[in-house]
This record gives sequence, structure tokens and C-alpha cells, in this order.
Amino acid sequence: MKVAILSESPADEAALQILVGGILGKPVDFADRPLRLRQGGWPSVHHLLPTVLKHLHYQTDTDALVVTVDSDNSPAHNVAVDREQCSGAGCRLCRLHQTVDRVQAKLKSGNRMRIRVAIGLAVPAIEAWYLCGIDQHATEAAMLRRLKSEHHVDVKNALKSQVYGTHRPGLVLETSKAVEAASRLAGSLDALSRHFPCGFGSLLSECRAW
Amino acid sequence: MIESVEFKNFKVLRDATLPLSQVTLIVGPNGSGKTTAIDGLRAAAHPHSAFSELQSAGHHAGSDEPSVRLRWSEQFENAITTVKWDPGYAIFHRQRDGHSPLAPQMEPKINAHLNALRRYCLDAPAIAQPVILHPRLELTEQGGNLGGVLDQLRDQDQERFDSLNQELCRWIPEFDRVFFDTPESGYKRLLLRTRTGGHRIPASQLSQGTLLALAMLTLAYLPNPPTIACLEEPDRGIHPRLLRDVQEALYRLAHPESFGEKRPPVQVIATTHSPYMLDLFRDHPEEIVIASKHGMEARFERLSDRTDLDEILQDAHLGEAWYSGVLGGVPEKS
Repeated sequence: MKVAILSESPADEAALQILVGGILGKPVDFADRPLRLRQGGWPSVHHLLPTVLKHLHYQTDTDALVVTVDSDNSPAHNVAVDREQCSGAGCRLCRLHQTVDRVQAKLKSGNRMRIRVAIGLAVPAIEAWYLCGIDQHATEAAMLRRLKSEHHVDVKNALKSQVYGTHRPGLVLETSKAVEAASRLAGSLDALSRHFPCGFGSLLSECRAW
Repeated sequence: MIESVEFKNFKVLRDATLPLSQVTLIVGPNGSGKTTAIDGLRAAAHPHSAFSELQSAGHHAGSDEPSVRLRWSEQFENAITTVKWDPGYAIFHRQRDGHSPLAPQMEPKINAHLNALRRYCLDAPAIAQPVILHPRLELTEQGGNLGGVLDQLRDQDQERFDSLNQELCRWIPEFDRVFFDTPESGYKRLLLRTRTGGHRIPASQLSQGTLLALAMLTLAYLPNPPTIACLEEPDRGIHPRLLRDVQEALYRLAHPESFGEKRPPVQVIATTHSPYMLDLFRDHPEEIVIASKHGMEARFERLSDRTDLDEILQDAHLGEAWYSGVLGGVPEKS
């Protein structure tokens, strides 16, 4: 199976390759020339996702796409309302799903299978996932509570300090810690899904449905 | 560290305060005082040599005295030093403001710190030039002497030189090592070895972006970098995907402990026109200063002082928001 990853940094991508491999439990080919977002991922995902989907659909033999983005200070996903309402409230997960649906509805299929898409939303950043199982406060619910009283940039920088020992990690350090965390988490994916039910749980269930 | 610089009558900086952090990225239109601010800092470090430059910039007897006032951090006892240029007499004053006296060793410490300030405006042809060997070579303002500086690094700190080579492989994967040769007696020339085929390419044949990236990387790996490094557009000529590495080089200089380095931190002041570079600092708005031009005057504003920043950004890139003009720091309507 050939999977493309759209993530905010090469470090995130390295971690996601391990997590996706763990979820699928079978050999996965990842693209040689990785897709990459500009820093501050959300605006890029938002603008770029339609282009990426079209590119993968018409110009590659990719089977699936995994997208992850940080939630930053965006409204939390609300399972109690439908996707349109949740998207309207600003939930990034639902906005991305809507974009995928809208774009894929217009793609000419021919002999081409529709690209399967799984979307993850790290609340507020992927470092929160890395702390799962290490810090008892590393859960989606706890992060959302924290974001009510602290600025999201401060929370993100604090998480980086916790994971990397500095909130200005170099890419080599960031990648090695990301790989280390993902390798650990790949053995406890259900726990990660339980602690981050919307952001990681949805990614997990979408990948497993492929 | 210098916490802020107040400029009075210094070229376009008639009355402006530049707030500084350990890393400061100044963005703004041409002529908004970014380079002048760096010139001002350098002038404060070398007031005598700045005098003629100020005269040629139009300061003359009878006009308002240019001055640059530096506010130092706690590490320097919160000292305030002022340099004023008296146009009639070609003299300067460096004085300490405040109520309590500085410790006796502080004045020379401040002077030494300022004297080690360096400005870099890297230029590929200068970087590519063979170097006349000298026992204590330093990177020049344009990045000249690079071959000699790297040769010294290899001789004096092999481990650091190897780390630089590893980083070079990550930045520019088509090359895997820095080499040197002697094109003529007394000269040293820089070459990069290609990963595939092992060909040694002389600096003069390398792309401008490769040379600029290598000079940035070298600066970040110097065992004894300057105390204050002022960099004019460190992103110039470099692919946007490499800008994260350029940012990392700036952070390596400024936050050595985050990279396992044991040397003192460098205060980094950089300028840019790149929205891509700006994007990288989204989580550190305290490190961004927007330079704006109002008529013939320039002003500075620290981005984190904007209370409406979250509201403005939302779905927008920081770089795009700046480019659009909603954050200021763009050319005025003609």
C-alpha cells in the first residue's frame, strides 16, 4: 500500500510513518518526495489540501493520504453535532473532512480508485501525543482544559520543552524524539486513541477502515 | 544582552526604539530602517569610525546630534550606555545612565561585548574566493575567508568540523563533505564532495544558494562566534524548505544550550523580506519586530505587543498577513 503523508515538519512525518505502519500492521510504502507544509500548518493544509488531493489522484499511484495538523487555538471537535455544524464552529477536523468530500466528489475516477484519506488533529500539537503514557495530563480533555486558561503558543512551547528539553529544538533532536515516541506509541495505539479520541482516535479508525 | 536600542537623529531613525530579544527578526519595507538599525549598533560599538559615515549621511555642525542609547540586560547590571556624535568636534560620548554605579569590571565587559559585534551581509562570490592563509582568520562581513575559517576549524576542532559536515549533508544532501586544496602557494580553496561519484567541486563552481547556506552553517558552528551577530537577510538565495535550517542556525547561535553547546549565547539580530522566514517564527512573536516607514521616519514594533494578533492570524499565515499589510511593515502607497 502506498501512503502519502501531509504534515507540518519532517519530524512529524517520521513519527506518522511509524504510527501509520503500526495502525495498518502491514508493509507500507511512503512517498520518496515528501509533501511538506509551510510552518504554521493549518493555513497551508486548508489552502493546499485540494491541490494535493488532485495531484495524488491524477499524477500518482498513491492509495491513501494521511493528514495531520495542530489544533492551536481552534475550537474543539464536538461529537454531539453533525459535521457541517461542527465545521461551521471552526473545528479543523470537520473542515478538512468537508474539503476532502468536496474535492473528491469532483474528481474523475475512470480506472482510478478514490484515494483513501485519514485525518488527525493534534490538540494542541503533536507533542501532546508523544507524552501519552508518560504524563498523565497528556490527554485531549486535559489539553482542552489547559487551553482555556493558557495561550496556545505557551502551551505548545511548554509541551516542546517537556518533550525535547527546549522549545527551540533542532530538527535532528526533534526527529529522534518523534521517532522514539512514535515507536513506543505504536505498541499502545489504543491507549493513544483513548486519550486523544477525536484527534488521534479518528485517524486510527479511518486508517483501520481502509 | 542588549534589550533595546533607542535611536535619535540617526539617519532615517529620527526617534525610534528597537526592542531586542536573544533572537530578533526585523521585517519591513526597503528604507524602513532595518539596515540603519544594524549600522547604529555597529556605530555604537565603533563610534570613531562611524563619524565620517554620519557626516557623509548629512549630519553636520548645527544639526541635531545623532545618538544611540543601548539598554543592557541584568547580566550587564541593566546598564544604559549612550553614544552621541557631536558634529562640530568629531567626538563621541559613551556614558552610563542610572543611579547606582556599575561594578568596576562592567565597563570593560560592555566594551568587549560591543567590540565583538559583527555584521554579515553574505555574498556568494566573496564566499567562493580562495583565501590567503593567516593564523587567525575570521569570517568577513560578506562571508569571505570561509575556506580558511573551515580549514582552521578542521585543524583545531575536528569533532565540531565533523558535526558541521553531518549537518551539511542534511541541508544539502547532494554533498557529503568539505575539502580543501591549495590553488597556489599561500592560498586555500574550498571544495565540496558530491555524495554520488565523490567529485570535488570547487567553491567557484557551486551554486550561490549552496555557498550562502554553507556560510550560514559555518557561522552557527564557530567555536567562538561573535557576541552579537547582525545578519542581513540570512534567507537570501536559499530554498524556502531550507529556511527551517537557517532558523535553526540562528537558534544554535542564540540558544547554544538547546543544541548541546557549552559556549556563551550570541545575540542574533536578523533582517528579512521573506514571508516564508516569518512563518517560522509564528510561535515566537516576541522575536519579530515590524519596521515601518512613516514619511521620512522609521519606527519599530514588537509583534507580540499587538493585542489583536490571534484575531488577525486565525486561518492566515503570519507571512501572508504581514505581506498583505494588516500587520504593517509594508511599502507606503506612492
